[in-house]
Amino acid sequence: MKIYIKYNITEACKKIVAEQLQKLEIDFSMLSFTEVDLKKKLPVSKLNQLNASLKKYGIEIVESQKSILIQKIKDVITEMIHMEENLPTSKTSHHLSSKLNLSYGYLSNLFSEITYTTIENYIILQKIERVKELITTENFTFNEIAWKLNYSSLAHLGTQFKNKTGLTLSAFQRIINKRRDLQ
Amino acid sequence: MNKDHTKILLADDDEDDRMIFTDAFKEVKINTKVDVVKDGNELMDFLKEPENDLPDVLFLDLNMPCKSGVECLAEIKSDERLKDMAIVIYSTSASEKDIEDTFVKGANVYLQKPSDFGVLKKLLSEVIIMNWQYQTSGLNRDNFLLSL
Amino acid sequence: MNIMNFKAFFLSSSFLKIIFTVALFALILIAGISYRHTNAVAESGKWVIRTHEVQKELEQLLSQLRDAETGQRGYIITKDSVFLEPYNKAIAEYGKSFSSVKNLVANNNQQQINLNALSKLIQLRISILDSNLSTPYQINTSVLKQRMLRGKLVMDEIRLQIKVMDDLENKYLSNRKKNLEKESYLTPIFTLLLVFFSILIFLFSFLKINNDIGLLKKTNEELKINAETMSQAEEIGDFSNWQWNLATEKYIFSDNLYRFLGCEPQSFEANLENFLSFIHPDDRHLLIEGTEKVLNEGKTSTHIFRIIRKDGEIVYTKSVSKLLTDAIGKKIVIGITTNITKDYLHSQSLSEMNKELAESNAELSSFNYVASHDLQEPLRKIQTFISRIADNDLQNMSESGREYFIKIETATNRMRQLINDLLLFSKANKAESVFEETDLNILLENAKQELAQIIDEKNAIIHEVTLPTLQVIPFQIQQIFTNLISNSLKYSKPYVKPVIDITCALIDEKAAADIKLLTNKKYYKFTFKDNGLGFEQEYAEKIFVLFKRLHDSSAYPGTGIGLSICKKIIDNHSGFINTQSTLGKGATFTFYLPA
Repeated sequence: MKIYIKYNITEACKKIVAEQLQKLEIDFSMLSFTEVDLKKKLPVSKLNQLNASLKKYGIEIVESQKSILIQKIKDVITEMIHMEENLPTSKTSHHLSSKLNLSYGYLSNLFSEITYTTIENYIILQKIERVKELITTENFTFNEIAWKLNYSSLAHLGTQFKNKTGLTLSAFQRIINKRRDLQ
Repeated sequence: MNKDHTKILLADDDEDDRMIFTDAFKEVKINTKVDVVKDGNELMDFLKEPENDLPDVLFLDLNMPCKSGVECLAEIKSDERLKDMAIVIYSTSASEKDIEDTFVKGANVYLQKPSDFGVLKKLLSEVIIMNWQYQTSGLNRDNFLLSL
Repeated sequence: MNIMNFKAFFLSSSFLKIIFTVALFALILIAGISYRHTNAVAESGKWVIRTHEVQKELEQLLSQLRDAETGQRGYIITKDSVFLEPYNKAIAEYGKSFSSVKNLVANNNQQQINLNALSKLIQLRISILDSNLSTPYQINTSVLKQRMLRGKLVMDEIRLQIKVMDDLENKYLSNRKKNLEKESYLTPIFTLLLVFFSILIFLFSFLKINNDIGLLKKTNEELKINAETMSQAEEIGDFSNWQWNLATEKYIFSDNLYRFLGCEPQSFEANLENFLSFIHPDDRHLLIEGTEKVLNEGKTSTHIFRIIRKDGEIVYTKSVSKLLTDAIGKKIVIGITTNITKDYLHSQSLSEMNKELAESNAELSSFNYVASHDLQEPLRKIQTFISRIADNDLQNMSESGREYFIKIETATNRMRQLINDLLLFSKANKAESVFEETDLNILLENAKQELAQIIDEKNAIIHEVTLPTLQVIPFQIQQIFTNLISNSLKYSKPYVKPVIDITCALIDEKAAADIKLLTNKKYYKFTFKDNGLGFEQEYAEKIFVLFKRLHDSSAYPGTGIGLSICKKIIDNHSGFINTQSTLGKGATFTFYLPA
């Protein structure tokens, strides 16, 4: 029998981090789902241990400041696209800079330097991912999905989807369905 | 981008293709370590050897003697240890049906062997970057499908 | 329902038996009644005669007594003994009459009593007469008168008694008469009714028997004709029949069966062994198995076996048999043997040819595919290495070297494209594809998505209608849509927004026949009309030919295979495609797919 799952990634990650910290008996408090305040400074070995156990879940301890900022940018974008029901109508650049209190130019340069892709690309990437999610987990029509994600038309979404993934929307859906049937 | 290099493994029976592939990666501006195997059996032996590091991305040719790419794909996808590896089908045939078929069987990327070297480099970078994005941005790997 | 039952009953044979029994019974009844009646009449007659005889005898008696009286009187008067003659005669005779009467009334008690009384009276009279006669001459006239008076009284009493007897007889007679009358009245009527009834029954029986006989005759005639027809048919149709009576274990072979085996009709005894001897040794077991099967299951399936005729010729034979049980439970097996040599050999050769054809087709298509596919490999590598050299060393080459190199590149690219298209063409092979119930709208959508980029670039507008769901090979029909739209876009007028009109309509059998499609089928007519460059109508047939192009490859890229692929696909679907165009005024492609 099949069940369908929807992910609330932040909650899940928070829980995992909390569990791992508890397992290693580390005192902590969660500041946000990407920031954890450890009450005491940890020895390198324990840090590595923690890192290793978190890595199993695809969670990493990030070190540099820049990485933190990058992660924050990503988080905002992720939140923007995945969390809310519909995309905010304001331009993303405004949205980002207002949320992070930094100029968009600075954010964009930093992002490209570290990640080798632009913020725009990343946004598109996330949008496409959301589209994929919606296709696999919900029963929305392609039109509804295009509307949800602020595409000017279904054709526009279709074109972008094909550009990014090399597959048409229907082909993607077909593949996902067939994969399900095999399992 | 990465602290470590991206580990890449290619399984292709054609000597020229192997050479083109490794040359291309030499010129791609990403930190990579490329290994090659000659056929399906060698591939599975390599992967199953616990001492060997699993590649981050596996490039798999379909038309190989003894064990075909599709057979390897099936074996990998049914192995607990191997099934989360990113798999790129690197092949000459372009029939949509075949492409869809490999996706359905669990491949993440389908890369049609291009005939222009420059194009090849570009595509390989795209694949690696895309894969890295998936790894670092918490994206759902099950939806990692890319056809180039 | 009742009438039906009665009719059936009427026509059955048991009815006949019943009728005859009833008729017989009726006849016996009639005979009995007639006999009785006749007897009764005879009896009556006898009685009448008897009564009259009694009366006559009594009269006679009386008369004789009177004669005696008269004689006595005469004698007494004349004293002449001549008058005693009648007296003596009467006395002598009256005894006879008296005994006659006595005989006649022997059965009747009453009359006997009467007779006895009469007898006494007569005796008395006679004694009186006698006394008158035996007394001497001189008699006292008063004594005489007294005696004579007494005599007269007795005579009167005699008369009376006779009258009583007479009357009684008359009464009897009248009774008899009444009975007879009654008899005479009823019996004829009853007899008449019975006769009438019998006639009716005989009529029925006659009709039925007549009917049956007629039927029998007709059936016989038909049977004769059938047998004759069968025999003729066997000769013409090259088959024969045989019968096997299970009870008597006798076989009957038709004349044609003998001819079948190359022998004269009825030239040897009809039995299983003889027949088996004509069958090819390897096939004999089939007949034996067939025989067992028909005994067990009532009929055999069709067997094919070889018969070797008397002259050595081999005949392929088809045989089927059946077990019949008739009304009395008699079992016979009947069988038909047919000569199928011609058809058998023909179908053998046909199926061999088909096999060869299929094999050669499969070879051809796999050759096609492998050739195109395997040719691509080295070609791709050539292109890759060309591109590498071009990237790294082109500047270092000599002028002519560079020029030649570039030409190599161009030629290689063209070759690649050709092989690609050949591959596409060979993939449009029907045998490998499966027909599925597909919504054509989805296929059109897919085609549009595939061409999304170029549609976008050229700002093309596509007008479409709702398409039907048909039994097709999905990816092939999608290919057609893609090819046609792509062509329209490729050959669009520069600086003019391409507009493509797609329509679809169901056409009926008559309209389909007009276009020489398969009759008795409905088709869907699809049209793709564009406002592009168009072409001259005289090339309308040519453009579907493999690799035929109307422009050179520098002006418009392409190998000329797209439309031939379309045609091949349409052929695969038993459809029809054609095109109409005017140079400068766009083109319309029309194709038909079976509904």
